[in-house]
Amino acid sequence: MRRLARIFFRVWRPHAGKLALGSLFSVLVVFAGAALLGLSGWFITATGIAGLAGAGIAFDVFSPSAAIRFLALGRAGARYGERLLTHDATLAGLAELRGQLLAAMTRAPLRKLASLNGSERLNHLTLDVDALDGLALRLVIPILSAVLVLAGFLLVLWWIESGTVAAWQGASLVLGFLLSAALMLKTVQRPSRLAHKALQAMRLRFIDLMRSRPELVVAGKLAGQTSAVMDAQHRLQKEQARIDLAERVSGLLMGMASTFAAAGSLYLGIKLGEAKAIDPALAAMGFFGALGAGEITAPVHRGLSELGRILDAARRVDAQMITDHEEPRRSIIADAPIADEPVLRMDEVRYTQASRTILQDFHLSVSAGETVALTGPSGVGKSTALLLAIGQLQTDTGNVRIHGCDIRALDESTLFSLATLLPQRSALMSGSILDALRLARPDLAAEEAWQALEAVRLDNVIAAKGGLEFMLGEGGAGLSGGERRRLALARVLVRQPRLLLLDEPTEGLDEKTARAVLAGIRRYLPEAAILMASHRRPETEFADRVVSLV
Amino acid sequence: MRTKSKSDPGADRLKVIEKGATQGLRRAGLLTVLSVLTVLPQSLFIGDSLATLVTGDTPLLSPLHATLAYFALGVLRHGLDAWGGRFAFRAAQDAVAAERSSLAVAQSRISPYSEAAIASGEGAALIGEKLDILLTYLTRYHTAAFKTRVLPLVILAATATISWAAALILLLSGPLIPLFMALIGYAARDASARHLKETGSLNALLLERLNALVDIKVLDGRNTMVSQFFTRADTLKERTMAVLRVAFLSSTVLELFAALGVAMVAVYVGFSLLGTFSFGTYGRGLTLAHGIVLLILAPEFFAPLRELAAAWHDRAAALAVAGELAEIDSRDAMAILGEGGKVAVLGGPISITTRNLTFAAGRSGCIVYPDLNIRAGEAVAITGPSGIGKSTLLALIAGLAQPDRGLISVCGINLDDANADAWRMRLSWVSQVPHFANASVLSNIIGPGGLRDECRLKAAIEAASLGPVIAALPRGLLTRLGETGAGLSGGEARRVMLASAFYARADVVLADEPTADLDPPNAQAVTESLLALARQGKTLIIATHDRQLADRMGRKIRLGGAA
Repeated sequence: MRRLARIFFRVWRPHAGKLALGSLFSVLVVFAGAALLGLSGWFITATGIAGLAGAGIAFDVFSPSAAIRFLALGRAGARYGERLLTHDATLAGLAELRGQLLAAMTRAPLRKLASLNGSERLNHLTLDVDALDGLALRLVIPILSAVLVLAGFLLVLWWIESGTVAAWQGASLVLGFLLSAALMLKTVQRPSRLAHKALQAMRLRFIDLMRSRPELVVAGKLAGQTSAVMDAQHRLQKEQARIDLAERVSGLLMGMASTFAAAGSLYLGIKLGEAKAIDPALAAMGFFGALGAGEITAPVHRGLSELGRILDAARRVDAQMITDHEEPRRSIIADAPIADEPVLRMDEVRYTQASRTILQDFHLSVSAGETVALTGPSGVGKSTALLLAIGQLQTDTGNVRIHGCDIRALDESTLFSLATLLPQRSALMSGSILDALRLARPDLAAEEAWQALEAVRLDNVIAAKGGLEFMLGEGGAGLSGGERRRLALARVLVRQPRLLLLDEPTEGLDEKTARAVLAGIRRYLPEAAILMASHRRPETEFADRVVSLV
Repeated sequence: MRTKSKSDPGADRLKVIEKGATQGLRRAGLLTVLSVLTVLPQSLFIGDSLATLVTGDTPLLSPLHATLAYFALGVLRHGLDAWGGRFAFRAAQDAVAAERSSLAVAQSRISPYSEAAIASGEGAALIGEKLDILLTYLTRYHTAAFKTRVLPLVILAATATISWAAALILLLSGPLIPLFMALIGYAARDASARHLKETGSLNALLLERLNALVDIKVLDGRNTMVSQFFTRADTLKERTMAVLRVAFLSSTVLELFAALGVAMVAVYVGFSLLGTFSFGTYGRGLTLAHGIVLLILAPEFFAPLRELAAAWHDRAAALAVAGELAEIDSRDAMAILGEGGKVAVLGGPISITTRNLTFAAGRSGCIVYPDLNIRAGEAVAITGPSGIGKSTLLALIAGLAQPDRGLISVCGINLDDANADAWRMRLSWVSQVPHFANASVLSNIIGPGGLRDECRLKAAIEAASLGPVIAALPRGLLTRLGETGAGLSGGEARRVMLASAFYARADVVLADEPTADLDPPNAQAVTESLLALARQGKTLIIATHDRQLADRMGRKIRLGGAA
């Protein structure tokens, strides 16, 4: 629950005004509904009395009937305002939630992000964010407005009819709400979590089924894997049925509570009317008002029924948002490179991962203007060396210096302004070419963009496609694999780093283009120290020095 | 724009799904209708009790009894409603389970070499959360639609027995609702469909950025990315709100007419009781009790319509899912031979022969294969330029794809649906792109649910030179291999698959580009493992580009070119 509150406040605080106004309108809607029925009940009974007494002419019909019409119109108007405002606030909240999640996740260490790349877990994360969409619209606003409406309505009832009736209605409705909320909180959390797990298992098993069809068919296990998918679906439905049952019981409780409230009002109204304590018309008003107030229960119940799913999703999203905080490191030395030191220097570096020694007693130095290629069989630690050089993995022993200063002493933004990395699998996003390059440098001018594109031999391709405003589709669709790789390279170049780390930079390019691109990079950054992880000939031939890791 | 639902494949497909749940849904509909009907006796008791309070006559039931009766009927109402809802939910679950099962079975039998199969990520979304959308549609929208067909008429009839004028008010305002909703509704339905798509694209926006986090981080582009994201989300929001404004008009019209309908009934009743109006009651005059009954019934007339309108989104979403299913159904897919199940092994000495084999490979035209004769114990390399159909030939031999023309015979009989499963019991398959089941290394080697035979396992690990790799894994044989292969390099991953081929002890090993993308030492290790298999007397058929590997096989068959 605390997580839920934290997420709610973080996401919706900037839109609190709209939400409050929207809730106010939703209060008006329900209040007008209850008042409409209550007033109608009073009106009919009062006219009945007047008619019997033969006082029909004297009865003021105009103000009540005008009030009835006013309430009917007002309710429709309030409904419109409520829906507009709450949806507006929700949409803003959705963007806010996703934006904050993105900002928080960029703080995670690179290795972790790389392992998430393209994985099922990210899909689950988006599902969780979806589940949180309803937090304001279906849970907080309805409950808030229900409380306000009840309070207001009961006060009016107290004032006009009788305190006993108001107290009765209040007590039964609140009791009904508390009982059903408690039931939901107590019973649906576990099934919601299990249902989520089963859904995840079903998705993964289906992916396994589709991707390993050749192996499964040859091994005669296709039917077995299909039934494994259906096993997970069976578990999912079992948990869903549990949640549904809890939902129906809680709905039943709330429905009975409102019936209880109305029945009590009827009895008390009649008794008070018989005792001449109140006018029979007021007894009718109390009863009909209770019927109208019962309308609050439907939206509240719908919100409660999502409670389990929302709580479960909040747990995971919240964990993503906070666990990955790193201690912000402080820069000891501001800038001022030490001139006679090489740009990158790694001394006696040792790195082990899960009790597997990847690098041991590793020395490397790269000077300004020098190009070094790291080679060796896959899995030997080329990428690891690059990650160590940019401080995204911590050495067990030994140290890594950039311009003579230990990178552990640099904060991330200083470090990334000195050095940058082209990962093995780099991703592009939808948007224009210029947007893609401006991700690396927000103030990039068009002319500079063209220079970087020229360096990676992409200028002609982009010009043919319509220039810097050419819009890329999702994940860089619209460019071929090799063109995407070169755009990612250009994006790294515009950072103008002193240390450029490239993980298999020319993967997917033919040899001729690869050579031209490497030469272009060097022309673009004549002074940079370049360290590449390579296993292709054009790269090793281009390097001034080849370091083989074995 | 969706104009007529008759020609909409999504709507047709949705009907098929509904048919699977008809019985349960109808029972659920009847129960919920029955639950609302309890309002008829309730209204009579209330009318009588409140009216006698005014007139001073003796009521039908004492206040206590009337209250108890009202309460009991109310409990009955909610109980029946919950019961009906439960029925609908169960029926909907069964329908969804049936859809899932048929989707999984149909998709799994599509040949891996056909492009008609659904992309696995897309399929995971469809079989998972998308099919669950049908649950809400079938339970909520369907029940509301059923109620809308029955209840307004019943309430109208009950009202008409008391006053035709009140019935007329309902009759006029009732159909006005669908009329006005239809007027705005064309825009609104479109808007709601577009709205669904818009939120979808906000998700796409998020997913895309989550996948690019590594780049964003090293480029120090967090602030730029977040502000770009918000700009795009803002324009999305503006567009969505523009359509929502129209869409909400329709629900406002509904609210307005529902409220006005109730208000007009109340005003009519009031004026009749005062004696100002004296029409509409078949000349009997309206009593207070009847007036109260009319007031209680009026909101019930509109309730199903409001419920239906609230569930409108459910229908739009369900139609989108059904449309996707219909599109998948309409794809023309090539199936595998057989069912991919475990059966008795096909007997006889190994032999593989093909005659006049051709395979139509999409747009690129038709592949014509030379006739093959492969005998037991041979090690054959299939070579040729990429795209010539090497992998497809392996697939044809394994019955994973079907030829257009020509015959394949294995162990002396023609390969067909009936014997493909038995033939495959003698095969082992090493794919080009290893995909590991989401399980331990051990289970990936011996197969899910396979029996662990220590001796065979040790031999298999040794033959695939996998020992040092496993020793370096954090949990050894029990390390889980997920989608990413738990950090195994390409060569290591392929050796795990070879170990599984060794463990299976199949007579024929089919391997597709086993040394592609491997650096020389890894390629060497894989080649040696394959040759070890050949030395054990297995029949080896390998599709490869790798000249060194091909040279060490006993025979080379070159596809394409002059050969």
